[in-house]
Amino acid sequence: MQIEIEKQDGVAVVRALEKRIDASLSGEFKAKLLEAIREGNKRIVLDISMVEFIDSSGLGAIISGLKAVGEDGKLVVSGSTENVRSMFRLTRMDRIFSIYDTEQEAVHALTADNG
Amino acid sequence: MGCESDSRLPETADEFKNAICRHLKDTLGQYWEQAADRELFWAGSLAVRDILIEKMLQTEARYRDADAKRLYYLSMEFLIGRSLGKNLYNLGILAPFAEALQALDRDLEKIRDCERDAALGNGGLGRLAACFLDSLATMDMPGFGYGINYQYGLFKQEIDNGYQKEKLDNWLVHGSPWQIERPERACIIPIYGRIEHAQDVNGAYNPMWLDWQLIIGVPHDMLIAGYGGRSVNFLRLYSARASDEFDMQIFNRGDYIRAVERKVASETVTKVLYPADDIEAGRELRLIQEYFFVACALRDIMRRYTQKHTTFDPFTHKVAIQLNDTHPALAIAELMRMLVDEHQVPWEEAWRISCGTFAYTNHTLLAEALEKWPVELLARVLPRHLQIIYEINRRFLEQVAQKWPADNQRLRRLSLIEESSPKQVRMAHLAIVGSHTVNGVAALHSRLLKENLFPDFNALWPQKFTNKTNGITPRRWLLKANPHLSRLISAHIGRGWVRDLERLRDLEPLAADAGFRADFERIKRRNKEHLAAVIFETTRVRVDPGSLFDIQAKRIHEYKRQLLKVMSIVQRYLAIVEQSRLPQVVRTFIFAGKAAPGYTAAKRMIKLINSVAQTVNRDPRVKGLLKVVFIPDYRVSLAEKIIPAADLSEQISTAGKEASGTGNMKFALNGALTVGTLDGANIEIMEEVGAENIFIFGLRAEQIRQMRARGTYNPWDYYLADEDIRQVVDAFAGKRFCPDEPGLFRPVFDALLHQGDVYFHLADFGPYIETERRIDDGFADKAAWTRKAVLNVARMGKFSSDRTISEYAHDIWNLKPVQ
Repeated sequence: MQIEIEKQDGVAVVRALEKRIDASLSGEFKAKLLEAIREGNKRIVLDISMVEFIDSSGLGAIISGLKAVGEDGKLVVSGSTENVRSMFRLTRMDRIFSIYDTEQEAVHALTADNG
Repeated sequence: MGCESDSRLPETADEFKNAICRHLKDTLGQYWEQAADRELFWAGSLAVRDILIEKMLQTEARYRDADAKRLYYLSMEFLIGRSLGKNLYNLGILAPFAEALQALDRDLEKIRDCERDAALGNGGLGRLAACFLDSLATMDMPGFGYGINYQYGLFKQEIDNGYQKEKLDNWLVHGSPWQIERPERACIIPIYGRIEHAQDVNGAYNPMWLDWQLIIGVPHDMLIAGYGGRSVNFLRLYSARASDEFDMQIFNRGDYIRAVERKVASETVTKVLYPADDIEAGRELRLIQEYFFVACALRDIMRRYTQKHTTFDPFTHKVAIQLNDTHPALAIAELMRMLVDEHQVPWEEAWRISCGTFAYTNHTLLAEALEKWPVELLARVLPRHLQIIYEINRRFLEQVAQKWPADNQRLRRLSLIEESSPKQVRMAHLAIVGSHTVNGVAALHSRLLKENLFPDFNALWPQKFTNKTNGITPRRWLLKANPHLSRLISAHIGRGWVRDLERLRDLEPLAADAGFRADFERIKRRNKEHLAAVIFETTRVRVDPGSLFDIQAKRIHEYKRQLLKVMSIVQRYLAIVEQSRLPQVVRTFIFAGKAAPGYTAAKRMIKLINSVAQTVNRDPRVKGLLKVVFIPDYRVSLAEKIIPAADLSEQISTAGKEASGTGNMKFALNGALTVGTLDGANIEIMEEVGAENIFIFGLRAEQIRQMRARGTYNPWDYYLADEDIRQVVDAFAGKRFCPDEPGLFRPVFDALLHQGDVYFHLADFGPYIETERRIDDGFADKAAWTRKAVLNVARMGKFSSDRTISEYAHDIWNLKPVQ
């Protein structure tokens, strides 16, 4: 599972660089996401614009990330394709995440939120 | 630039010949001189399919332009049968197609026999669905079937030493020219998983359905041509597939076996049709089947709707969904889930939309046949849907409690949840609560539904219950199945009856016309000769086409009382061999029907019929007086040969048990007289054809209900009082019909006498035998018999499925033709 992490204005942008996040990759995905959080990143934009398909284990990994940032942190999602967004709707996960169309919008929202 | 096709569709025999040869060569890689009949069947079917596709596209454009309301008929079963002949008739291309085959030195009948039946159903319910699709297309209505593309249809029945043996019906082993796979319309269906009770960004309760597994649903369309070919609709059948790409990931990690196992497990979902009366085994798979196909259907419906509409306000003006029995009732919970969870429609609004969309057809009065699912199973397979069902129930019971305060018993009776051990979800209750209309399928059945099966619901919502008496399509069941009679009818009254069956009334005066009757008799004789040949081919028993063909062809079930028919045969046989009482009329008793593989009593019945047949047919004392045959593997294409050959149609179920029956309609439409009880649609057939043109006998539903309630029925009373009954019933206890296995039929004797004769055989036996005598008398007077037969045909107009569909469209769906 390839991911890329880039800091922008105090926000960690985590880019998932796979077309599919499913059972074969979700364990690694979750580990890398949690590692990034453990390293002190509490304001995270998870960019999934490259992801065309995500299954329930992939969604589970993202929820683990949300839980790990805790109440004082923030994890938002950007760039979800229609397929992935439909999976968020199916699980009602769209109601616990802020979802932005683009990475820039998401970063902007988190930095603005910072004051 | 568009993508206009310039290939002209065939119309003349020459053009069909060219189209067939083109498909033989270009699609199948074969020259016609070397082609086998099956290849000709394929090439011919593909030539016909070209026309169907063109017309389907035109029809779809018409519906789309009109933004027409669409009806989606959700059914676990569509008993389609064969398609080539039906398409040739409905598209009006039979003659040029047959001529084209002739030019290729082939015979249409032989080519048609290459087609395997699409046996995607058990019996009446599935065949009704198929007849409805024909009527919807014929009447230019946007109505579409949604179901399952079973790899194995209903089992093939073979008879081995008198016993039924089930064989796999791998009907798709060579593919089907009629199916169009549409992978681009595949949908993703989640099952299993758990609910995580979370809060949304606003702090509101947000149940999340997580850890599910996915199955892919791939649609396969079968195109349904209406008569005249103006409208072509589709039946969309889903096959389950594993997600290929998902498997690729596992492949890549080298876990080949796990990948294959997962693929097989996913694809099992649509492997096999469950036989009726036999769904105990593997119930989890059956539940998944039911959910899988409604989930696929609703995604497709929603996709089509949201292409045109951005809000759900007009949903009920654009979508109607009919639930054919409770098997698709999970669609109610699924639509609610989609609206509430995926589209964030408030619950009350979603419920209004859902109730305005669904209607439910009940098909049974047998309380034990009403579907229930253990709560524990639903919680595991569909945890979110169970939550939704509980919420529907909570709100519904509040409504009940408002109407009947402090009536806990009523709450318990009406609840969607049966507080039994284990707890179960009552699917019929879900279907009733979530539908705007509930219908039975014959007048008596609809009345008994309200009075006996669902009295509390009727008290709550009397306006919700209605009747829609079943019907049959005259295109398959007369025009195609009985071409000679069709031609005779059309020669006298024109062809209008094919679209408007009430026009058959114009035949009535011809019942008195000796010339017409003679033609009618000749055709019946010809059909009987044809069936006699089929019987000889399949059973090696020779039957006399001059004898009275007395036929009971239907699923084998105790309530349908094949046993009562066998008892009458035994009585007739014993009268000849023991009392030398010769019958007035020579009869051939013909049975056909399948028994559910796990239904012991029904399978024993098949053995009994075959054993009686063996004894009778080998006994020189009855030679030329009676014959008994069981034709194996009853299916639509066989029914089309059996029904036109019948003189007498046996519809002798225990009154109050048969919801409607449609076989009764098919036989009568083809000029058989009916002997029957006042059950199901028999009552309405009697009203139409006249009591003097049908043989009615036996206890009425109300009498049976009272006898049951008061405990006044004792079969011993009949046994001890009637010598005939004693002789017949004792014959089952002894070895007369099972000399090599004494006691084989003792359970039949025990069921009749020691287990209370649940289906009232002994009570109805005397009146039945008396009626049989009247039938013999009647058949002996050929002119009078034929007169009645003609009047039966003339007065069957009500039972066209076009009439049934018109009523559904007007009263339930608010669906209009789009011309």
